[in-house]
Amino acid sequence: MGMSYRRYLTGERIYGCSKCKTHLAALHSMVSRAFNGQHGRAYLFKFVVNVIEGEPNDRPMTTGNHTVRDIFCCKCGTTLGWKYDRAYEPSQKYKEGMFILERNLLVDVQ
Amino acid sequence: MGLGDPGPSSSTNGYPSNTVSVNGNGVVCNGHVATNGTIANGKSNGVHKLHRKSVMRVDLPGTMLYDDDDSFVNREEFVRLVIQSLRDVGYTESAKTLEAESGYLLETQEVAQFRQYILHGHWAKAEVALTRLGVHDEASLLEAKFLISEQKYLELLEANKTTAALYVLRNELAPLDADSDHLHMLSSLIMCSDPDDLRQRASWDGTLGSSRHHLLNNLHRYIPSSVMIPPRRFSTLIQQARLYQRSRCLYHNPPSNSTAFSMYTDHQCNKSALPRLTTTILDGHVDEVWNIEWSHDGSYLASASKDRNVIIWQVPSSHDWTTHLMLKDHPYPVGCLAWSIDDSLLLTSAEHFIKIWNTKTGVCLRTLEDHTETVTALAWLPDGSGFISGGLDRKVVHWDADGKLKESWGVTAIRVTDLAVTPDLTRLVTIGMHHQSLTESSAPPRPPGDHAIYGPGGGGGIGPSTAPRSSNNRLIVYDLATKQVLTSVRMEGELTSVKISQNSQFALINHSPDEIHLWDLKAGRLARKFAGQRQGRHVIRSCFGGIDGNFIVSGSEDGKVYLWHRDTGALLEVLPGHGEGSVNSVAWNPRHERMFASCSDDFTIRIWEPMMSETADESLTDAGGASMAEGFDKGKDRSRQQEQHWNVDPATNHSGVSGIDGASS
Ligand SMILES: [Zn+2]
Repeated sequence: MGMSYRRYLTGERIYGCSKCKTHLAALHSMVSRAFNGQHGRAYLFKFVVNVIEGEPNDRPMTTGNHTVRDIFCCKCGTTLGWKYDRAYEPSQKYKEGMFILERNLLVDVQ
Repeated sequence: MGLGDPGPSSSTNGYPSNTVSVNGNGVVCNGHVATNGTIANGKSNGVHKLHRKSVMRVDLPGTMLYDDDDSFVNREEFVRLVIQSLRDVGYTESAKTLEAESGYLLETQEVAQFRQYILHGHWAKAEVALTRLGVHDEASLLEAKFLISEQKYLELLEANKTTAALYVLRNELAPLDADSDHLHMLSSLIMCSDPDDLRQRASWDGTLGSSRHHLLNNLHRYIPSSVMIPPRRFSTLIQQARLYQRSRCLYHNPPSNSTAFSMYTDHQCNKSALPRLTTTILDGHVDEVWNIEWSHDGSYLASASKDRNVIIWQVPSSHDWTTHLMLKDHPYPVGCLAWSIDDSLLLTSAEHFIKIWNTKTGVCLRTLEDHTETVTALAWLPDGSGFISGGLDRKVVHWDADGKLKESWGVTAIRVTDLAVTPDLTRLVTIGMHHQSLTESSAPPRPPGDHAIYGPGGGGGIGPSTAPRSSNNRLIVYDLATKQVLTSVRMEGELTSVKISQNSQFALINHSPDEIHLWDLKAGRLARKFAGQRQGRHVIRSCFGGIDGNFIVSGSEDGKVYLWHRDTGALLEVLPGHGEGSVNSVAWNPRHERMFASCSDDFTIRIWEPMMSETADESLTDAGGASMAEGFDKGKDRSRQQEQHWNVDPATNHSGVSGIDGASS
């Protein structure tokens, strides 16, 4: 609700939406490159901007059951990955509140 | 006044029985009869000249006008100003009588003579008289003499007496003048072809114009004011009182044809003249309304909405507001609006697109795509020659009136969130987020192929810092002609709106959290803060309003409209009425000083005006902005749709990514 501008990140490397160049995440908030998404490699970020979160739902993952929400680019609406609301496996708890972005949907932006 | 008026007065209170109205209005005051606004020509009527010597000098103790208060009005000064005023308007007999009765003279014989010498062009005598006027400092005396000789020189040239003029130039002006540039200019005037040419090149209106009076006013600077009182001194003081009272009048907003000032009482406008009642609700958008702007002639209001449409509303001459045009075909929600100076064109912006519309036909004339990120500001140049756009891509672009790219200012230091051009066409004022370039970044690059895993509980210290909430916001003021940065000031909090006062001196800047700053562009400092409204993460706008921009009005995230007095910062009104969400923008009608509009997340625009009748029951005005005249479309289903995010169509995007998740060891 209300008008707001998209956020812009600063840092040595910024990842944006490949379709519309909207800033999404910075390298310095990347936690891991060792994830896989629907389109191949995916990155785990602690912090992303300019995404809209969908409804939560439970999904089985390779590391166990999780409650996740799809995330969409706020400008063009592309589905970019998901956010972890809850991990059922204790070893996976660290991902709660973090975001997956699919590498193939990202481009470097400034 | 009639020296020949008949009849002796038998009045004992100093007023004559034959009262004469001065200006034909208002002869009754406070229920008393007729002394107000009448001439009291008194007993001496018609016999002044004979009895002048009989006017008794009144000796008063002390030097103050009133010795029993602490106003420190010097009696001599006061009386001399009264004498000056009386003479100015032609009450010369009264002035003489007052001089005789008080023993104070307006000015000495020398001053009076000096004045006459100047006005009659007796330059030699004037120069001699000048030395007797208390100009003690030698430099001032020389400067004053220079001014007199300059006038003499110009008059000789005008009369085609070139030889005499040359003599003055060589023997009087040249020896006195230290500023050779000025002397060169004067000597070049000898080449003027005719008197018209001379007057134009010298910016001088000639012997028969007001040049001698003008000279006299300039000479005041060198002569002590107690010797030669500055012209119309009383009027100047009263004007100052008037300006002071106006600046203290919280509700000052009289109709533009009203003078609304009397010396009999301190000026104070009535609160009922303040626009604080919703008289119309404009209900035509189907999503949040983000921006509004009046046409310069005040008869149309354009509104920009998240629903991707712009509506141009027509101000009614009698009854209902109507939709003049609906401008569709924006590919994204619409953020900015700007009417051309002649109101024939309207600029709109949606994301990085700018569109130019014909406001008569509703035809989109051009779509401009030079920006690569959201356009956040559109501002016509006050001379109508073109407009300037600014955007989050840090670009400032100058376009001509047809939308042809005239000049790109290139990439500026900030992601521009708003900009404005001063009405005097000298400055461009921009606000935005400072951009840190890649080379400024001090973070060390990560090694390639880094698969760092941050374990549960976060391994303290190695966690990546979250991106800092940008607090590096800036106000940057450019010289419009040279593009040089005049001022660059760091400000805390996000800046979302900038407007410039009519006199080009102040910038009004919305500022999160919860502040509006009035920035003095000339002095380069904060002049005043306005507080009360809510502003956190949304783009909230404010504006000046009313006669002389006396008011500040702003939207707010609490759904209310806030109204302040500009010069005191006093919060005058908090106007409820809009529904849930933010009041995003406000705009004061430039022609109807008692009307403004506000637009909201509740899909509507409200028009605010004063009570219909100044005598109406005060309680009506406090009815929570109850609308007196609902807009059309009243019966429409207004149920809010589920909150929609910017340009997302959930139907096409909920094809769930069946997460595969990570191979985290
Ligand atoms: Zn996108």
